[in-house]
Amino acid sequence: MAGTGHAPLRDRPDILLRVEDLTVEFPVGRHEVVHAVSGISFDVAEGETLGIVGESGCGKSTVARSIVRLVPIKSGHVVYHDTDLATINGEALRKVRPDLQMIFQDPISSLNPRRRVRDVIAEGLAIWGDDKGVWSQDRIDELMIAVGIEPTFGERRAHQFSGGQCQRIGIARALALDPKVLICDEPVSALDVSVQAQILNLLEDMKARYGLTLLFISHDLSVVKNVSDRIVVMYLGKVCEIGSATDLYERPRHPYTRALLASIPEPASTVDVSDGDIDGELPSPIDPPTGCRFHTRCQHVTDVCRHTEPVMEPMGADHFVACHHPVEVPVGL
Amino acid sequence: MADTQLSVRNLQVRFPTTHGVVEALNGVTFDLEKGQMLGIVGESGSGKSVTAKTLMNLLPRTAEVEGEVTFEGEDVRAVAKERRKHFWGVKMTMVFQDPMTSLNPVKRCGEQIAETLRYHLGHDKKRALAEAVDLLDQVGVPEPAKRVRQYPHELSGGLRQRVVIAMALACEPSLLIADEPTTAVDVTVQKHILDLLDRLRRERGMSMILITHDLGVARGRCDDVSVMYAGRIVERAATETLFDDSRHPYTEALLRTIPHIDQPSHTRLEPIPGRPPELIDPPVQCAYAPRCRHTQPDCLESIPAFVGVRGVHEFACHHPVNTQWARTEQADT
Repeated sequence: MAGTGHAPLRDRPDILLRVEDLTVEFPVGRHEVVHAVSGISFDVAEGETLGIVGESGCGKSTVARSIVRLVPIKSGHVVYHDTDLATINGEALRKVRPDLQMIFQDPISSLNPRRRVRDVIAEGLAIWGDDKGVWSQDRIDELMIAVGIEPTFGERRAHQFSGGQCQRIGIARALALDPKVLICDEPVSALDVSVQAQILNLLEDMKARYGLTLLFISHDLSVVKNVSDRIVVMYLGKVCEIGSATDLYERPRHPYTRALLASIPEPASTVDVSDGDIDGELPSPIDPPTGCRFHTRCQHVTDVCRHTEPVMEPMGADHFVACHHPVEVPVGL
Repeated sequence: MADTQLSVRNLQVRFPTTHGVVEALNGVTFDLEKGQMLGIVGESGSGKSVTAKTLMNLLPRTAEVEGEVTFEGEDVRAVAKERRKHFWGVKMTMVFQDPMTSLNPVKRCGEQIAETLRYHLGHDKKRALAEAVDLLDQVGVPEPAKRVRQYPHELSGGLRQRVVIAMALACEPSLLIADEPTTAVDVTVQKHILDLLDRLRRERGMSMILITHDLGVARGRCDDVSVMYAGRIVERAATETLFDDSRHPYTEALLRTIPHIDQPSHTRLEPIPGRPPELIDPPVQCAYAPRCRHTQPDCLESIPAFVGVRGVHEFACHHPVNTQWARTEQADT
């Protein structure tokens, strides 16, 4: 399992966000660190939706949080337009943050329970408003209507709303500052299926209406496929495979991607992943395996996997895999 | 006709609260045959877990229960006091959603399994512990002799759930109720846990009730499926019939609302408008009527009774979808 190498980075003028060799580590105990994210690279073009998928502990949320600098970056670059977010601090960082907004997994606990939701949505505007705290109530009304919340409900507090409505309010809050990039960290995982579809459709609508670029993180492969143009598969702090949604789901090359696809209760009919299976336990991120990080659970493991870390290699037009033994996929399937 | 192992008739559960009486279950009726896997699906608040807890006699004292539950010919609600402590947990057991909270954090895993054996079967300490090792081996826990000495926090989520399953199996139950057994675990672990439950059921000729919100899980694993909405079963049939030939508009809408892995990216989802009804003082009408696409005046006047073929495919709807008539109409448009 690698993820080292810049092969998936595209040389295009419309790249909005470029993550290069991003490494995030958290200290634990004496002289030990959790290798949460270890040198991953990917980019997001303007107007694109990039999905990040992987199991718990693979580092997908850490990637999201480090992009907005909610967790410290150990090394690497997060280039937004021409600014490296990893190196700026203080006022410069504060100035760029309105452009990158985030919505979270638990919609209820991400809203302040003591404040009226109108004030929750307005907080960013109150801080960033043109005229020091003066902002138009019409703007709040407009945002609430856009996300499907009756503006008269603005006087209520978070506990008076359902989970789906709270997520709508969270989206309105994120949109208030007219962001360019919206980072969604498992936004529908806590919601019932009937509400999940409402929120996914709302995100698509908001993306079109406000010209957003989306980074969408989820463990649900069907949900990620539905919203994404391009998908990154992560395992234990590394990237295994990057590709367009079609490539990844119809021609998965990495053994881990195949195992993930084979685990879905109703596997896809377009691809035969019956060979995909993984045994054993997720290794500790404190002491990750040498070589390919997936080698301890991979069926195709050989000596080279144990010693040498694979590099991201192109496998087609827009499809990259970090594996010494990528699974051959029949052409035309 | 195979033996009926569990028969539930017109089960009603009400919880008095300060806001009024919550009508959690409103006449739930079903039969479970020996060796069968019954799926109960529905969204949060539909009454799935209350059904399970009623069967297991785990409801709080304040709950008002009416109806009949017959298990292996015996009226469960009339079990004599002195037999109660060896009735539940022996022949009828349950696995809960969150393996961390259903295990005692300050007791070794082995002791917790042995405790069940000592209490119910009167084994001595040594024999109980030896059997605990054996049980862990049966549920696929690697190095069982080492695991019995570990505490729950030392195990991964998947292993913890296996320990909980081992506890449930300790007294060789004939019915296992699994309430969202894989909701808290990753998709690859989910597959292993479901495979395990499937294998154990076949080997031991156990019956199972699998409660889940995931339609894919129910479809892949169950013989029969019941769909619950607002404290009632609204449709029940053999799995294939239910998914391929749904007759209740709620079942149909649920199936349409989930993103499917075979659909291309950005497929517009069809959400179910609104949200589930309050269960305090529900009006006398079809509970799904306010969200239904096919609502007619009579839906708002009475609660629909079960129609269809008794014991084969039943649905509680005044205007079922996918009738011969509706099909021709769809073909015309």
